Amino acid sequence: MNRSPPNANGVSRRGFFQLSIGWLAASFAAAATAVATVRFLVPNVVFEPDQRFKAGAPDDYPDGSVTFLEDERVFVVRRGNSFRCVSAVCTHLGCTVNRAGQGYHCPCHGSAFSEEGRVESGPAPRPLAWFLVTLSKDNRLLVDKGQIVGADKYLVL
Amino acid sequence: MSAPLPRRIWSWFAQTRVGRSVFRVGPPQSNLERSQAMVSSFLLHVQPAKVSRHALRASYSLGLGLISLYLFFILIVTGVLLMFYYVPSTLQAYDRMKDLQFVISAGLVVRNMHRWAAHLMVLFVMMHLCRVFYTGAYKQPREFNWVLGVGLFLMTLGLSFTGYLLPWDQLAFWAITVGTNIAGYAPVIGPKLKFLLLGGNEVGQEALTRFYALHVIVLPALAGLMVAVHLWRVRKDGGLSRPDLPEDSVQSLPLSQLPTNKSYGLMELARGTTPQVGRDPDDEIFSWPHLIFRELLLFMLVVAVVLFLAIFWNAPLEELANTVHPPNPAKAPWYFLGLQELVSYSAFWGGVVVPALLVTALVLLPYIDRKRQGVGRWFARERAVANTIFSVCLVTAIALTVIGTVFRGPNWSWVVPWQTPPAITEGH
Repeated sequence: MNRSPPNANGVSRRGFFQLSIGWLAASFAAAATAVATVRFLVPNVVFEPDQRFKAGAPDDYPDGSVTFLEDERVFVVRRGNSFRCVSAVCTHLGCTVNRAGQGYHCPCHGSAFSEEGRVESGPAPRPLAWFLVTLSKDNRLLVDKGQIVGADKYLVL
Repeated sequence: MSAPLPRRIWSWFAQTRVGRSVFRVGPPQSNLERSQAMVSSFLLHVQPAKVSRHALRASYSLGLGLISLYLFFILIVTGVLLMFYYVPSTLQAYDRMKDLQFVISAGLVVRNMHRWAAHLMVLFVMMHLCRVFYTGAYKQPREFNWVLGVGLFLMTLGLSFTGYLLPWDQLAFWAITVGTNIAGYAPVIGPKLKFLLLGGNEVGQEALTRFYALHVIVLPALAGLMVAVHLWRVRKDGGLSRPDLPEDSVQSLPLSQLPTNKSYGLMELARGTTPQVGRDPDDEIFSWPHLIFRELLLFMLVVAVVLFLAIFWNAPLEELANTVHPPNPAKAPWYFLGLQELVSYSAFWGGVVVPALLVTALVLLPYIDRKRQGVGRWFARERAVANTIFSVCLVTAIALTVIGTVFRGPNWSWVVPWQTPPAITEGH
């Protein structure tokens, strides 16, 4: 038996290693359980619709119109031959904005946005998002809500 | 035979072989048996055999904590009943609410009771918090029980908020959309927290499933456990708070000099903060029947009031959730409308910073305000500064809530309730 004598605190070398390993193992188990639990709760696959959608033929939209597409929560804006698409989701807390005058207005907390989607008043921290609009092969407007572009980006036909 | 019939039946049953195995003690005749009745019953032993007269004074506690507890009981019972019919599915949830309203016997009343008891519980927990503050009851040795109480207040709000989504109507959908977006404003972890809460990017089936699990098991289990510890601590911290006695009267007597005209149990001698030490025997009375009777009476009163509300007023149920059209104005439940009013100025400051500061201040309060004066009395003069600060916060919160509730109309614009609102221009 070459057990080392306890130091001033009454902890022997062997006792120190036993304690260290014990606490390390316990901490590791606790941390691993916590990480695994949180990871379990974060879904890897979400069952949500595709971010891209076809918005019909360009000529469905009269010149100078602003059309609300209810299912997609966007407005399609046509000026002459240029097309744009702006999100109807308020950047404040996610309500759907309404068309009001030349701009947009949120019914939840009163944010007002200009025609260009800029915040004019209210608590919204960012302008409304403008989405990329392209033309599909079958000559339909193709909106990608995953791609946010500037308000000055048009699809010109 | 002067004793009433139920008491005679109880007396007879308690002295049979079976009765003794169940009750141990029959209807108490002596003070000893009154103590035994409390100590030998599982349901009653949570409470002391004797309580101070001060603790029974309705004008002191107003019974607010007890009322909150009873509402919690009502919510558990009605909630379990609702679970027998409710299906947490976006396709079925709303139909099930309609079934409860129109098809299931007494379904309407059960749902109404659940809703009104939930609203009342938020109200009474808030009032209980105010009572404890204004009587200085959070001071030593009750600091930690105050912290538990703040936790229970947050649990109550969490239970209420998660329950709000379940009917899957317009009110539910948009309140949760707004609420979870506020969580998204939290610094650093915000967006991830929102994703975790919703189980996705939008309020949908995953969110409903999660809120259901939180509402029916996670939060009630946690809250139930905290209620148990909260009540246990009330007892261990020496019963309800009361004014300190003058210095000379609290010296505990040596055992040999204790008055002999009362019987002591071990629990009465164990700790310096038990209500009995250093007290005149006259200061306290037996829990059976004085406390038990009052508690039963209050319980019946609470059930009667909730039942009355549930029979005469229906819980609101708006149209089926429409994921594109928020109602105008879209409003959170009343107790969050002060918060929503703040959020209408700034989501980050109103939705994250102010609530976080308030909760932190509430939790730290008993460790900051450590003066002993003014405990156990309403609006004690010694606590004028603390009471003023608290009152200013309280009045501000009430004012914001009132503004959010009645002075906000379509587009969250200012409206005066006794004037006709301007026509809504809603063009798509």
